[in-house]
Amino acid sequence: MRLQHNGVIVTILMLLLVSCSHEEEPQQLRLALQTEPSTLDPAFAVDYSSGLLSSLIHDNLVRFDEEGRIVPGLAGRREVSADGTVYTFNLVPARFSNGRSVKASDVVISFTRLLAPSTVSPRWWVLGAIRGAADFHHSGRSMDGALTAPDDTTVVIQLAQPTAHFLSMLSMPAAGIVCVEEVERLGEMYGRSPCGSGPWCLESWLEGDKLSLRRNPFYQGRAPAITGISFRIIPESMTRIAEFEVGNLDILEVPRAELTRWRSAGVSLRQQEELRIVYIGLNNRKSPFDNRTVRRALNMAIDIESIIVHLLFGAGHRAHGVIPPSLRKEPEPEGLYAYDPHEARRLLTEAGFPEGFAMEIWQRDNPESGRILESVQGYLAQVGITVKLVTREWSAFKQAINRGTPDAFYLDWFADYPDAENFIAPLFHSENVGGGGNRSAYTNAAVDSLIEEAARCPEENRRWELYRRAEELVYSDAPWIFLWFPLRYEVISPRVRGYRIPAVFTGQRFLEVKL
Amino acid sequence: MIRFVLRRLLLLIPVVWGVLTVTFVLMYIVPGDPVLTLAGERYDEKTLEEMRRELGLDRPLLVQYVEYLGRVARFDLGRSFMTRRPVIESIRERFPRTLILAFSAMAFAVVGGLLIGAFAAWGRIPWLGRTLMAGSLVGVSIPVFWLGLLLIYLFAIKLSLLPPSGYGGGSLRYLVLPAITLSFASLATVARVTRSGVIDSVSEDYVRTARAKGLGEIVVMSKHVLRNALIPVVTIVGTDFGSYLSGSVLTESIFGWPGLGRYIVQAILKRDFPVIQGAVLFMAIVFVLVNLLVDISYGLIDPRVRLKGGGR
Repeated sequence: MRLQHNGVIVTILMLLLVSCSHEEEPQQLRLALQTEPSTLDPAFAVDYSSGLLSSLIHDNLVRFDEEGRIVPGLAGRREVSADGTVYTFNLVPARFSNGRSVKASDVVISFTRLLAPSTVSPRWWVLGAIRGAADFHHSGRSMDGALTAPDDTTVVIQLAQPTAHFLSMLSMPAAGIVCVEEVERLGEMYGRSPCGSGPWCLESWLEGDKLSLRRNPFYQGRAPAITGISFRIIPESMTRIAEFEVGNLDILEVPRAELTRWRSAGVSLRQQEELRIVYIGLNNRKSPFDNRTVRRALNMAIDIESIIVHLLFGAGHRAHGVIPPSLRKEPEPEGLYAYDPHEARRLLTEAGFPEGFAMEIWQRDNPESGRILESVQGYLAQVGITVKLVTREWSAFKQAINRGTPDAFYLDWFADYPDAENFIAPLFHSENVGGGGNRSAYTNAAVDSLIEEAARCPEENRRWELYRRAEELVYSDAPWIFLWFPLRYEVISPRVRGYRIPAVFTGQRFLEVKL
Repeated sequence: MIRFVLRRLLLLIPVVWGVLTVTFVLMYIVPGDPVLTLAGERYDEKTLEEMRRELGLDRPLLVQYVEYLGRVARFDLGRSFMTRRPVIESIRERFPRTLILAFSAMAFAVVGGLLIGAFAAWGRIPWLGRTLMAGSLVGVSIPVFWLGLLLIYLFAIKLSLLPPSGYGGGSLRYLVLPAITLSFASLATVARVTRSGVIDSVSEDYVRTARAKGLGEIVVMSKHVLRNALIPVVTIVGTDFGSYLSGSVLTESIFGWPGLGRYIVQAILKRDFPVIQGAVLFMAIVFVLVNLLVDISYGLIDPRVRLKGGGR
């Protein structure tokens, strides 16, 4: 009798265990991150991992969809005044993960918090277009009604001047809406236990190992089909590959060096053009790089197509400009700088350097950039330029390029939002020299005025035309050696359905994903 | 003995002060700036200044130094600039994981190394002894990174016996591969040192006496030969163990092991000053304590070694 009892108990326990594991495991999407997020607080999320997770937990007034288009978020409807300076947003019903309804005042407080001098957010500039925002941020002076909530569902934002890319800025992780009382309760630890109204909320965070998200039980939009997402922190790409191969990960970004092996194994790879440009910045303030002819010669001295084929294994498009092909409204222009070492030599002679010169190219510590720059070094040696490669780790490298120390540097630029403005204004407006993004210290008054006019221009085609003209000027001035727009490759586990690689990293919220 | 331990513990004070000062000075000498990591890719100089002010980095170095010493005296290691988490909390969370890995690796190295070394010195099967020694030479020179990936390929991908990486909440299955990888160089060194120690000891008078008393081979080897060959092994184990406790960056990175090593390296790369200072200080104390334990164990293994309180 006793034995029978024990048998029944064991059977029940086993059934419970089996049913638990069946309920949880298959519904969990398993992903990997190369680096751990620093914080999940939108006001301080500046790295990829922090931005990605923060945007899954928090909602914005508007957001990006998978293709990078702006779609409604918390704001179901919006109106823009005829002069383009007043935005009125009407909120849809939504709840934070603690169950409280989202009110218009939460939007106002979240935005005020991002801008407030006491917050010291590095991303305050995301809302810098709001009237009086910069003054408020730097000196605490009131924004004087530029940001108001006339009732619980309406938010009115007044801008200093029409800003065509304002909605893109509102879609960035920094403009996420936070639950005010949780921010007040947790203070600077809010980033470790955030509370947003997005589709996901933080379930657990084991430092250095794993973060788990589960469905926000109060999410008012269409509920995700899966119950949770786990993010393992795996710094080594080879280990991530091993985890995918044994079936512990569902989606894997394939490193470029591994592309040939995966292709030859017949694995179906998904490809997406990244909103990113890779370049060698030339210090336009230093001789001889202050000479446009020299800079053009450098662009012609390197066989970039060959580097893309042999060192990038085809994972990139040659850049004939700075705006990625997917953001263009017309085909990419013809390249000005075909590989021609003879012409490069002629240009160098014309510029007064028939014997070439010596220069340094700085890079951050990275095996791939090392291989690429060794090849660049070889090409430039053929036209008489002796290149010394200088490697620094990220922090020291960044400090040096912001100060304008190196002759040249190998770098890339990731778009914060899918807009031509994001590739032209930060990188080439003279106001942004240094940490603002223009690290080659390029200045051209004509480019500045085109950028400023475009930012104010409400008409989409006219705006594009202004950016195209600015790009044309930049490209012919050659402040950089223009390299490529990289392609991203991912391999997806057969158990995953409904997943697409997003154009912008925050565009995938895993709502359609099924297992 | 007690005087010796007390004296060594008192020595911790100047060591801690020295480590604090050197770390502090080094941090401000090397290029790089924590606010550059905090600011991301797009910022203006004014914002950087505000961030420096908020973190207290705009004050004179001496003021920062004195304030830092004061905080450490109150056992406050501060908060990470990046995560805002108290440093001591992260260390408390990560150190046990590093400790488990270090202990497992050391146990593997000591047991494996002693057995292999003693067997090779025993000399009854010469070809096997020579093969083991040649293997240990490879073990000493094998790069950790390569070995780790090889083990993952073999045991995780090909044989599906063990998970490739992760902590697994402390499950033993997750510990095996990183522990073997971490232990390999120590194991090989222990084997080589044990072999030479044993070969030296077997010709000693006390071993001949033990054999003459009619003791069995296993007792002679374990009680008389191995024990005397242990002193250099303890030195190696002590030094390696101390460094394992400060985290093993490569092993932790390959196996995604959330220990102290990765924590410190990430902090160095991001110039997260409070984390670097706190973690280095913690490691220095651990290192001194482990060395103290090693010194004490000399006396326990070999009664001829006497620990003195110093001064006399």
